Amino acid sequence: MTVGASSAATVAAAQRFQAAMPDMGASLLATQAMAAPGELLNLSLNASAVLPEAAVLLAMIATLLVDLAGEKVATRWVPPICYIGLGSSLVLLALQWNAPLEPSFLGAFLADNLAVAFRAVIALSTLLSLLISWRYAEKSGTPVGEYAAILLAATLGAMLLCGATDLVSVFISLETLSVASYLLSGYMKRDARSSEAALKYLLVGSAAAAVFLYGSSLLYGLSGSTSLDTIGLALQSSTTPLAALALVFVLATVAFKIAAVPFHQWTPDVYEGSPTPVVAFLSVGSKAAGFALALRILVGCFGAFDDQWKLLFTVLAVLSMTLGNVVALAQTSMKRMLAYSSIGQAGFVMIGMVCGTEDGFAAMVLYMAAYLFMNLGAFACIILFSIRTGSDRISDYAGLYQKDPLITLGLSLCLLSLGGIPPMLGFFGKIYLFFAGWANHQYLLVVVGLVTSVISIYYYISVIKMMVVKEPQEASDVVKAYPDVNWSLMGMQPLRVALIGCVAITAVGGILSNPLFQWANTAVAGTPLLQQAIALSSLKGLG
Amino acid sequence: MTIATTTELICFLVLSAVVVIGALGVVLLSNIVYSAFLLGGVFTAVAGLYLLLNASFVAMAQILVYVGAINVLILFAIMLVNKREDLKAIANLTTRRAVSAGVCAGLLALLVRVVVTTPWSLPGPPAVGEEATARIGEHLFTDYLLPFEVASVLLLMAMIGAIVLARRDVLATDVVTGEVADQGLIEKARTPLLMNRAE
Repeated sequence: MTVGASSAATVAAAQRFQAAMPDMGASLLATQAMAAPGELLNLSLNASAVLPEAAVLLAMIATLLVDLAGEKVATRWVPPICYIGLGSSLVLLALQWNAPLEPSFLGAFLADNLAVAFRAVIALSTLLSLLISWRYAEKSGTPVGEYAAILLAATLGAMLLCGATDLVSVFISLETLSVASYLLSGYMKRDARSSEAALKYLLVGSAAAAVFLYGSSLLYGLSGSTSLDTIGLALQSSTTPLAALALVFVLATVAFKIAAVPFHQWTPDVYEGSPTPVVAFLSVGSKAAGFALALRILVGCFGAFDDQWKLLFTVLAVLSMTLGNVVALAQTSMKRMLAYSSIGQAGFVMIGMVCGTEDGFAAMVLYMAAYLFMNLGAFACIILFSIRTGSDRISDYAGLYQKDPLITLGLSLCLLSLGGIPPMLGFFGKIYLFFAGWANHQYLLVVVGLVTSVISIYYYISVIKMMVVKEPQEASDVVKAYPDVNWSLMGMQPLRVALIGCVAITAVGGILSNPLFQWANTAVAGTPLLQQAIALSSLKGLG
Repeated sequence: MTIATTTELICFLVLSAVVVIGALGVVLLSNIVYSAFLLGGVFTAVAGLYLLLNASFVAMAQILVYVGAINVLILFAIMLVNKREDLKAIANLTTRRAVSAGVCAGLLALLVRVVVTTPWSLPGPPAVGEEATARIGEHLFTDYLLPFEVASVLLLMAMIGAIVLARRDVLATDVVTGEVADQGLIEKARTPLLMNRAE
């Protein structure tokens, strides 16, 4: 009977897999098939792996409780609570660095170095996004407490997504991140643009989630397990067309999350309509989570389909770099320009993934970290500009250096770094990516990357030219009516701290980037998943 | 062929026909109320398929959640927004319909081909039957504990978000300066967008 077909495949796959790999993963299978509940309860949960997430969760609950006392109290107390929660989460993550590996929650979560690195990037991006959002949220008259709580929930989902090693955990954390992102992009509810952004994001995102669910149901049907390890083993022994179909479905969702062309259509509209601090989080935190998911599923699960997904990713990377950077040339809105540039930047990061070498993965991690600082620095500047002037049009930046040297300097440095001009942090990240790609003979990707980098430098520099070169009488009306620089309002100081911090790291980090290189290399070295993939691909290269 | 397998086959054929025809109706009918009621029919028939597979817990959950909650909610939403509005005619509607029909037919052909070419091994594992509820509970508190707990965060956050978006703030102010705020983006639109502000 056809209705029993998928469950029948389960048994077949499980038998085949057990015959092929008797020892590895057998304990996991045994865990799931075990009938007696008593034995299961004796297994160690090893729940300390999610302590950083617990800190974020506690901060979220505390934020909600404080918010009950009214908007004034919330404005005063929500920021410190969020700082404490995210700060302790970062400290706990640092303690997990290079810790002995043990799967927690009976195989639902794994805190390897890759997960720790990406979770740190996400927690830091939330911290910086929150620092730059207080004044923005207050000025627009929206409730601050709920805003912080939803952003923390998104962080929680994104962080869990980085370490999830089970399809069910992956899906639930992905949904937590996505639903929170929809809510955040529609947070300026009286603004039609914000509602439009939320609606578009919701519709496209739900379709992507449905496609992911369909793909994972096929994977479950093939392997009889939701654990990514077991699925990976099962796929090695059965390279059926069904598995290829599952690969396409899963890859489409991953591409949606990292906004790779042609799954990018939502990005410009959502970025333009969402509150700017939310865009800052979406462009860094959400993207980092997407890349972590891509590594877990594609490298971890679809090792048998290495050539296929690498080919697909090459196409996606070439399209993303080309379209993102070329269309960014024509933008008049700063947010929209950064949206297209973020599509292009995701294309650069994909080069590292396609390589599949030690350097490639390390370059990915390094570039994500560099991108965190330079992109959030740029966002801090444009948020400050829009708080003072109420505009984000590129032409309104004309002649800004006369009135506000800090924004001019910060934005210039961050945009130069995004373009990859030495000696900024972004240059070293990009050169490492291209170096890894060249060493792996990905000539097409590297050449396209180099050409599109030059294009991107053109539009980044044209913004800087707009700010710096114009004579005072050529300045835009907005700049001519520029208000006095005033940092005394509540919420301005955190913005200043975030701006100066990001810009300083972007500017100086390039020269002192050795610790970052080491950090990225340790992240790859301390991750068994990536090490296996590297060993396999080098074996392939020899044979 | 025994009477049991015949009955099962007949039930399966009837339920499948209801699912397929109902789903086509949901998509193709132009009256949204018909579509919503047909969707309820599809959900119920899918619950019937689960029962045929001896998964009574999933069948009940399907009825309670999808038919009882989600479908009723959809109907409520349709009834609350009872506004007749003549939408603008879409250009090249026939071509667009033909293209999307072609894409869907292609996807269907692909799926059918994959189902036919995949070497399924029959019969499948024996159904757990009445033990299923206990087994699901066991899983929820052992190997699926983490997703189960994260789901509660997801629901809490979705609830708060829905309230924030739906509640009516009569007067919004900047808490720090006391100025009146409009709860819109700080960057004001100066170019005409797809939608004009409804004020």
